[in-house]
Amino acid sequence: MRHRASLILGAVLVGLMAAAGLVSLAWTPWPLAEIDVLNKLAAPSAAHPLGTDGLGRDLLSRLMAGAANSLSVAAGAVLLGGGIGTGLGLLASAWGGRVEEALMRLCDLSFAFPALLFAIMLAAAFGPSLLNTGLAIAFINVPIFARVARGAANQVWVRDFVLAGRAAGRGRAAISRDHIVPNIAAPLIVQATIEIATAILAEAALSYLGLGAQPPAASWGRMLAEAQTLLWVAPMQAVWPGLCITAAVLGFGLLGDGLRDWADPRLVRRQA
Amino acid sequence: MIRVEGLSAALPQGQALRDVSLSVARGERLGLVGESGSGKSMLGLALMGMVPDAAQLSGRIALDGQDMTGATEAAWQPLRARKVAMIFQEPMTALDPLVRIGETVMEPLILHLKMRRRDARARALDLLAETGLTEPEAKMRQYPHQLSGGQRQRVLIALALACDPGVLIADEPTTALDAQIALRITDLLVRLSRDRGMALIFISHDLAAVARATERLAVMYGGDLVETGATAEVLANPRHPYTQGLIAARPRPDPAMIRKRLPVIPGTVPTLGDLPRGCRFAGRCAAELPRCAGTRPAPWPTASGQAACHLLEPAP
Repeated sequence: MRHRASLILGAVLVGLMAAAGLVSLAWTPWPLAEIDVLNKLAAPSAAHPLGTDGLGRDLLSRLMAGAANSLSVAAGAVLLGGGIGTGLGLLASAWGGRVEEALMRLCDLSFAFPALLFAIMLAAAFGPSLLNTGLAIAFINVPIFARVARGAANQVWVRDFVLAGRAAGRGRAAISRDHIVPNIAAPLIVQATIEIATAILAEAALSYLGLGAQPPAASWGRMLAEAQTLLWVAPMQAVWPGLCITAAVLGFGLLGDGLRDWADPRLVRRQA
Repeated sequence: MIRVEGLSAALPQGQALRDVSLSVARGERLGLVGESGSGKSMLGLALMGMVPDAAQLSGRIALDGQDMTGATEAAWQPLRARKVAMIFQEPMTALDPLVRIGETVMEPLILHLKMRRRDARARALDLLAETGLTEPEAKMRQYPHQLSGGQRQRVLIALALACDPGVLIADEPTTALDAQIALRITDLLVRLSRDRGMALIFISHDLAAVARATERLAVMYGGDLVETGATAEVLANPRHPYTQGLIAARPRPDPAMIRKRLPVIPGTVPTLGDLPRGCRFAGRCAAELPRCAGTRPAPWPTASGQAACHLLEPAP
């Protein structure tokens, strides 16, 4: 039953974060950029449930907006990178031979590159922004998904129904689309969930370094950086965004784990 | 319909087919028998242009007058399903578990015959009914795991028939089925072949099924075509020692045979790597001559076909 617990806890955490982010798009307790210098670093109160930051902005509102930024960048980047990577993996698997060899060696090559370093390089080249951060994270995900998709697809290609499909006159592209993709969807979804957790962390790190979200946009990583100078004065300023990052990463990680165990009955039996 | 001349297939571990020549006329039903590893499945795949990438083919293949020697995947693709179709040994695994029966049968209709979905659906329903599947309408909406092995084999037959191919290659279509269902599937294939004037290549190691289904028989051993002829003639009067052994070794419900050991062919099928250079059957043959292992026997004429054995060589 352990996988059931992680599935539920993960889903609840992810659901909370996603809900907070969604709500922030339409409504936040306070306007995001409303500065109230007289009321800066205020303690929690009825008006400001989590208090205010160094410029007197409502902390809860900024955390909610941060959730929207973090989740959308992470999920968007993984979807984009994962989509391209899956396509390349399917291509490698369907054509085999030199095409497969070349694509997979390219993937190996990109794994030799430290991911965060690459993102920093990209930000240096194209300027720091949330979009460039997302593109960098997407790029990192391409070889990961190419590998997972190619490995899973290779196992499907040798199955009898693929042979039957070829005998029915179907080409590689049609077989990939109609037979391979549905049969490798489960591991890809699990991988995507886990990679979103990693992507949230990466986005926070880049924003902390000032390469992601630019002020006055709200971002958990950026809030951590701003709280750093006030650590002795107002430690809770750093605790809240830190907690949010932890909860989101943990949530997606648990959800991914739970989904994997749920999709793979062999694991369940071993635990029982 | 299909003509194969001097077809050889070399795999990295050895020769899977050696100099096989064979032809199947329009509407003719040919049985292809032999033990596992005799090359009969490889021959079936070669006729579909679907040999594994590692296999090196040589020799000529002509399909409906069209020379397919060395044809590419792109050249084969439009012919599959339309000119030559295939059904497989394992109906349990030859259907995608995630695709509904109806979609599977409609696929080639939409792909090759450019039918609209509604027409394809009606046609698929007819095809399923033609293969004797009960309640085809309901089965169209079901997934493979909801069907039994015999039902799935009928679905695969309907799929193979979709584009009205001139030749149907059935690679051990009844091996995975129980005896009663196997009989019905065999009879179904014969009926469809007659009704449609479709040539049938029935690959099997079940001599009883082959006797029931086919008019002509080709016996394979170690990648060689060792004997061909009219099915009844070959079964009654086998000329090649391997064919003789194969027929002697088949289980019969004969009271005299009860509690007796079945006669067997001594030894095992050699692996592709260490096939004898001459007659592939050398080393297991009861009537072996000194030259058998080193010299390949030529095919000599028999009553209704040919047999490749030194024993049949006319005295000089």
